[in-house]
Amino acid sequence: MRNYQNMVFSTAMRLLTNQSEAEDVTQEVFLRAYERFGELQGSPTVGGWLKTVATNLCLNHLSRYRSRWTFFSEIFTGDSDAGGEPEMEFADESNAGEELEARDRHELVEQAMQKLPTAQRVPLVLYHLEGLRYEKIAEKLGVSLGKVKTDISRGREALRKKLRLTLELENSLT
Amino acid sequence: MNPDYDKQLEAAISRELKALPELAAPGALANRVMAAIGQRARVPWYRRSWQTWPVALQAASLVVLLALFGGLCLGGWQLSQTETVSFALRRVGEWSSGLSTIGNTLNVLVSAAVLVVKKLGTGVIVTCLIIVGLGYAMCVGLGTVYFRLAFAKREESYL
Repeated sequence: MRNYQNMVFSTAMRLLTNQSEAEDVTQEVFLRAYERFGELQGSPTVGGWLKTVATNLCLNHLSRYRSRWTFFSEIFTGDSDAGGEPEMEFADESNAGEELEARDRHELVEQAMQKLPTAQRVPLVLYHLEGLRYEKIAEKLGVSLGKVKTDISRGREALRKKLRLTLELENSLT
Repeated sequence: MNPDYDKQLEAAISRELKALPELAAPGALANRVMAAIGQRARVPWYRRSWQTWPVALQAASLVVLLALFGGLCLGGWQLSQTETVSFALRRVGEWSSGLSTIGNTLNVLVSAAVLVVKKLGTGVIVTCLIIVGLGYAMCVGLGTVYFRLAFAKREESYL
């Protein structure tokens, strides 16, 4: 269990962005693994199995417990796009990459991810960290393929702004 | 959107995210899981889900269930043969004959309605149909608008 607990917890934390919920999901994942101990013991795919179960439990949790208040909160507050949130403070664009230590950089990326709206963060995590394809993400989330692509694209753009990422193409244009 | 820009952005974000190390799970998590496993193991077998029962008990429970089902079917059939039940069934049959009276009345009412429609003429009927159609379309339109107003945000934020 100790070999996989960080992986499962990371998956849950990045999808849920809530420590206690992530801990609950991690616990449930290992309880399920315990029930299938006979099948999983010594299996080379145990890591993948744990990750898939963690992802599915997180998505179930999000759709079951959050949709109720999200429905009402978003009706009254409008679109929860990243635009309305105050932008985090970062170092100057020019030397951000040089000045930040790798650990600080990771922390900033984690924070930027947590600040993304759920509708953008979840497909982004599923695509980049879990390696799912657009079609699979659409299927898992129960939304259209177009929406998944749009949300991921918006999420990337929001992250780019938050992290002050500079692309080669931008540099060549300016 | 420039496809090159999209590709570069995807690659850049992918690089940033994949470089992230795993988050450290809280130290107490392992103990918590072990405690939950212990607690679950202490639950007696008959209070756990059927899938987790021992195979012998699963087989025995299936046999018992089949026997119960068979007994229920046989008992029901035997009961239907008794005098009391036959009498009760006859009474039910008598009551249901009242339904045919209601059917006859409805038939007469429909015939009367058809006669009235024939007397009114085509113009009135077409006008009535148009009014009904417009009313239906209005209901569908308003319903769609309300549905979109209420659920558009929800679809957008599916989580």
